[in-house]
Amino acid sequence: MTRIEALLHSHPPPADAASAAEAAAERLARAEAVATEARAAAALAQMRAEIACAEAARLRAAANDQGRALAEGEIRLASMEELNGRLRASEAFTSRLLAASRDCIEVLSLDGTVLWLSAGSAAVLEAGPDDRILGSDWRAVWPEPADRVAAELALAAARAGRTGRFRAASPTRRGALRWWDVVLTPIQGDAGVVERVLAVARDVTDAHHAEEQQILLMQELAHRVKNILAMVQAVATQTLRGATSLEEAATAFGGRLIALSHAHDILIQGSWAAADLQNVVEGAADLHGGRGPDRFLIDGPAVRLGPRSALALSLILHELATNAAKYGALSRVEGRVSVTWRIVAEASEPWLSLRWQEAGGPPVAAPTRSGFGTRLIERTLVHSLGGRASLTYPPAGVVFSLSAPLRAVQEASA
Amino acid sequence: MVLLVEDDGLLLMEASDTLVEAGFQVVEAPHADRALQVLESDREVDALMTDVDMPLGSIDGLALARLVARRWPWIPVLVVSGMGTPGPNDMPDGALFIPKPYAPFDLVQTLHDRVRRAA
Repeated sequence: MTRIEALLHSHPPPADAASAAEAAAERLARAEAVATEARAAAALAQMRAEIACAEAARLRAAANDQGRALAEGEIRLASMEELNGRLRASEAFTSRLLAASRDCIEVLSLDGTVLWLSAGSAAVLEAGPDDRILGSDWRAVWPEPADRVAAELALAAARAGRTGRFRAASPTRRGALRWWDVVLTPIQGDAGVVERVLAVARDVTDAHHAEEQQILLMQELAHRVKNILAMVQAVATQTLRGATSLEEAATAFGGRLIALSHAHDILIQGSWAAADLQNVVEGAADLHGGRGPDRFLIDGPAVRLGPRSALALSLILHELATNAAKYGALSRVEGRVSVTWRIVAEASEPWLSLRWQEAGGPPVAAPTRSGFGTRLIERTLVHSLGGRASLTYPPAGVVFSLSAPLRAVQEASA
Repeated sequence: MVLLVEDDGLLLMEASDTLVEAGFQVVEAPHADRALQVLESDREVDALMTDVDMPLGSIDGLALARLVARRWPWIPVLVVSGMGTPGPNDMPDGALFIPKPYAPFDLVQTLHDRVRRAA
């Protein structure tokens, strides 16, 4: 029961009506006063509660701020220690890094004097304890005048705030000539002004030699390509000279190019220095019915041919086989060709003796004019190699024999 | 008469045919030593055309060209090679270098010019 209800119940109505109305009005006024008083008390309590909450919040916030500041302070202290530790580790790492580098790392003054060099540089330069590098003129290590000019230009570029770069040869302190790829970069001070120069030289001797080797190979390749083109030109012109029709010329030219191509394949296997005679003969046989005993009998010891002889012999064997396929043993199913060779002693030096013999073909007769093959045999084997060659046409089958000094046959030039 | 010095049989054959067809008489030599034998014989040589790399001889074509220019200075010299252009001191004065492969017509024209000028 509220206080107002309690007041109403505590004053029962009087007996007469006028008195009852007055009493009721009096009770109502008192009840309203009590209610007003209660509302004010409630509002005051709420206000106090709100103030207390706000104060609590303020205190809580203050307490948090203070705690955070303390924590941050602790963290800051821990970070500095860690940072110092990291810096020490970093310095040690950098030091190990510079010592491990195979580059020669130097700091130069603007006039090129060596002010500092990394621990690893001494090893790279093969410098001993008595070799004085600090304080020396960095430009003086380049013995070639042109390289010294390049070094001066690179230093000038670095002084001007740019990167200077050059490649040059310079001996180590022990006199071993090395090639260096050198990069000079400016070291700027706080004001952005170039104060020193960082010189990093990398030993590129192996790469330089590889490049030189590559240039030599390219020159050699260019030489070979020119020679091959000259050969192809000669084959083409010779084919056209002896041809009776364009079709015949085209067929003959194509066959000769393929024979040359096979010879090249064999030579490439021997790094262009040598070709095995057996491979050359088998290559010719492959182009004309295969090397099986039913067509070609091939027999002889291992003999190394020089490139020029290999190319010439490939062409000659191709001509012989082409003629055998047209008019000789290879024009019949039962026809056979034997190609045999051996090394013989002649005039106290070894000679190569090779024989091509056809059998099982139609009766043959000597051609009325010298063809490409016959003339090539004469020019190559007799004239160029100083050997002997014969091409005969007995009825049983064509016989070609050659003898040439092994030394000439094996000559490496092509 | 043209003294043709070339150690490759195929190239020798083709160069020889080209010059013969153009009206020259040709003497062939596979290397410098044989060429010198021809030069030292009674045969009259109007021009020398030589390859460079000829390993079967005792000297190469450039050395032969220099020797001919010194001993027989009236003989025009043509050096033919698939190798790069010779250096400035490799060739004798007045000698002409022709790279391989060459156009047969140009070779014939050049030889005619040189022989005519030397006559």
